[in-house]
Amino acid sequence: MTISSERFAAIVEAYGTEPARWPTEERTAAMVHCATHPEAQALVAEFQALDEMLNQFQVADLSVLQRNVLNQAARTSAGNVFDHLLDWLLPHSERLMAWLWRPALVACLPLVCGVLLADYFSFGIDGVQNSREEELYLLSLNDYTETFE
Amino acid sequence: MQQNERYRQYLHEIRQCFAELAITPNRSTVLKMTDDQELMTAIQAGNARAYESVVKRHLKSISHYAFRMLGNTKDTEDITQETFLRLWTHADTWRSEKASVSTWLHRIAHNLCIDYLRKDKSAITSEYLDEHEGHESPTEQPDKEERLISLREALAQLPERQRSAIVLNHYHGFSNREIAQIMNISVDALESILARARRGLKAELLTTIKNGSS
Repeated sequence: MTISSERFAAIVEAYGTEPARWPTEERTAAMVHCATHPEAQALVAEFQALDEMLNQFQVADLSVLQRNVLNQAARTSAGNVFDHLLDWLLPHSERLMAWLWRPALVACLPLVCGVLLADYFSFGIDGVQNSREEELYLLSLNDYTETFE
Repeated sequence: MQQNERYRQYLHEIRQCFAELAITPNRSTVLKMTDDQELMTAIQAGNARAYESVVKRHLKSISHYAFRMLGNTKDTEDITQETFLRLWTHADTWRSEKASVSTWLHRIAHNLCIDYLRKDKSAITSEYLDEHEGHESPTEQPDKEERLISLREALAQLPERQRSAIVLNHYHGFSNREIAQIMNISVDALESILARARRGLKAELLTTIKNGSS
């Protein structure tokens, strides 16, 4: 495979002078072209200074930033108590049992809510003592007329 | 005999696929792909260890990319954190057949940087030069230091897409197809952007050097 001088110029102008950055499929042909054409070598020399300058541009020390990001990532993935509860109730899983667990949980939810509500309101019965008094009161209101007859 | 022929045909098709993707079907690539797939599946399932492993693996590259785009540590930290937050919340949108995790993460970072730069363009150029550190002090190599400052200024002046293309191509070692994928453009468009960026940098630097010497 060979490439034209125009294509070689386009490659150098776009990707620079380092063959490692050239398109993979044209790299070998471009290298051969460069080795055999003096004008291609001149073009490479022209753009080499820019590449060398770009190479010298180093990033500042970002270790503190990277530590902060890692801490943030740990907090994000740890989640809160509610997340853990939700994960426990509705586990992310491909397993069949996990998929069965979800509808079972949904079906149980009204039952659990009913039990909790009943426990909370007690339907007017507050305690043992109160319930006895309530019973006596109800007895006193009974109609005993039929018994006396 | 017929089976052999079919096998050869399959091999030919696989080779063509790899050639199209510019991927060499060596063991490390295959392992990496599997690795990516496994880690992303684990993250999708809420595995915190897999998440931290991916963060550790790509943190340096993403933060360096954001820093070269934005030029200050505060915004770099925000963009890097947002990128990795999206890894956690949007892991289910990653498709192994479309892009590697690295390409996908750089695409997120690229989009965030472009959005940020478009929103607050005025603040960037002035801040860009403040936090870049050279390795030599100005007294040691004044000429080299001046040139580096000129280069940073020239980079800061580039339109954001040109800057992104140069950064991804020169510093991150992505192939042209990967960069085109990250920037959501065609390879031809990428070449055009890269050529304009390099011509712009070259012209800007030549002018600075000429002004400096006169």
